[in-house]
Amino acid sequence: MTSTGKKFDESDFSMFFGPAHPGSGNFSVKVDMRGERVLKATADPGYLHRGFEKLMEYREPMQNAVISDRVCVLEPLQWNLVHAEAVDNLMEYDVPERAKYIRVIMAELSRIQSHFIWYAVMSLGTGFMTGFNVSMGYRDYILDVFNLITGGRVYPAGYLCPGGVRKDFPENAEKKILKLLDKVEYMRKFANKENLAWLARFKDIGVITKEDAIKYGATGPVLRGSGVSADVRRDDPYEVYDKLEFDIPVYDEGDAYHRFRVGMEEIEESMKIIKQAVERLPKGEVKTPNLKPIVQFRKAKGETYVRNELSRGEGTFYMVATGEKTPYRVKIRGPSFSHMIPILERLLTGVDYADVPAIYWSLYQCPADVDR
Amino acid sequence: MAVTEQEQTNLVKTLSSELGASVNPGRERRLWVEINPANIVDACMKVQKIGFEHLSTISAVDWLEEGRFELVYHLWSYQYNTLLSIKTKIDRKKPSISSINSIWDTYAETCEREIHELFGIDFKGNKNLIPLFLEDWEGPPPFLKDFNWREFTMKEHYKEDNPREKVYFEVKK
Repeated sequence: MTSTGKKFDESDFSMFFGPAHPGSGNFSVKVDMRGERVLKATADPGYLHRGFEKLMEYREPMQNAVISDRVCVLEPLQWNLVHAEAVDNLMEYDVPERAKYIRVIMAELSRIQSHFIWYAVMSLGTGFMTGFNVSMGYRDYILDVFNLITGGRVYPAGYLCPGGVRKDFPENAEKKILKLLDKVEYMRKFANKENLAWLARFKDIGVITKEDAIKYGATGPVLRGSGVSADVRRDDPYEVYDKLEFDIPVYDEGDAYHRFRVGMEEIEESMKIIKQAVERLPKGEVKTPNLKPIVQFRKAKGETYVRNELSRGEGTFYMVATGEKTPYRVKIRGPSFSHMIPILERLLTGVDYADVPAIYWSLYQCPADVDR
Repeated sequence: MAVTEQEQTNLVKTLSSELGASVNPGRERRLWVEINPANIVDACMKVQKIGFEHLSTISAVDWLEEGRFELVYHLWSYQYNTLLSIKTKIDRKKPSISSINSIWDTYAETCEREIHELFGIDFKGNKNLIPLFLEDWEGPPPFLKDFNWREFTMKEHYKEDNPREKVYFEVKK
């Protein structure tokens, strides 16, 4: 910490980190500097505010399923799932078992590709270009499978729709998914050992304690990196997660390195889940029998609060229905909202400017779900 | 980790007596309660001590016909694996409620900042209610139910004498 006793120093200045910084991703932080030290950081979101919550009040659930992809660019399938579950709850749809397993498989594949992006932006932001190239390359194998199953590489266009999934798996999809896991395994090993000199720079920076992590609303890898064993998949199970076996990696240190480790170790757990789900995948329908092409949303009345474990943490939908054909109110909680505003501002205070990118990316940001 | 039925009933009893309101169980692991807006800080402090220490988010709903705003505080307990949603209704004409930044600090402030910007609700005690997403916005709070964004956009951003934008006005007529 720099002494802040003097009110003004001739080396004081303010500048922006982002939004044009390579990889900062439509988000900027205003940093007040004294020489090389950050005195104060102020997050400046809003570059991606598209007003989804308002848009959804004007559209029917099947149209909203397509919008829900766009809440976070890097994990569209998981946001699809949260929205679908909210509508399922209000409409009291009985989702078939096969659809539930397909939802879990797709959500976990999406988690793995999102963690690959984490590895990629961490390396891009801190100058390890090989890591970026390798990771984005291996992510493409997963996107190819998405293309085969959903018809879209990045955006599935509402594949996990209310009442089930839009289409059944094509022929041989299970085999292709299992074969894909070999590629994932290679990248997982790469992420564990490469590159030790680069990984060392994340140690002991951006430390957040257990109490602070809970107080400032941290979830997901940020919370688990600070020693809290909490995972929505286990604590508040949805779909078929309560029937599957997986571990939850937790570290007590709370620094940038251990947050990142939690994420990389989750890749292995996701692989375990996918293997079990593909093995047990039952035969049958993939849509609830009373589902019409347009969801009869006028029948829904009441409210629901759905929580899911996304790759970045807790993502939720609060949906209110009043018997109209569109939802009366939708509130989306993105996991990065708490990570990127209160926590980032707190962690950046008093650090060296050289550590800013490392801390910034270790929080696993997604500006799209901050702004929505 | 699963909470037994007995524990759940005990939890509902404790919460009901602490908050002085009836707690209604929803679907699995969901509890709903409605309280007086004057007690919000007090209630949050009490339930935080019981174990609801994670503020998931704060939602606002604009009930236009009723003339009131509804604020919903979603709190998760890591100990009981239960979500408690505290609902409170405030007047729509002079929307104002106490801030809970004494409990969840800047995270609560950021949630309140968002609601202040999108619904125009004032949070007493929160000094950081500066704009969050919208830059140079001079219109009414955009998420209100009586805010007609189509008309607003037409008035602010389109001109009838511009030949390229004339078509929008023709469609409207």
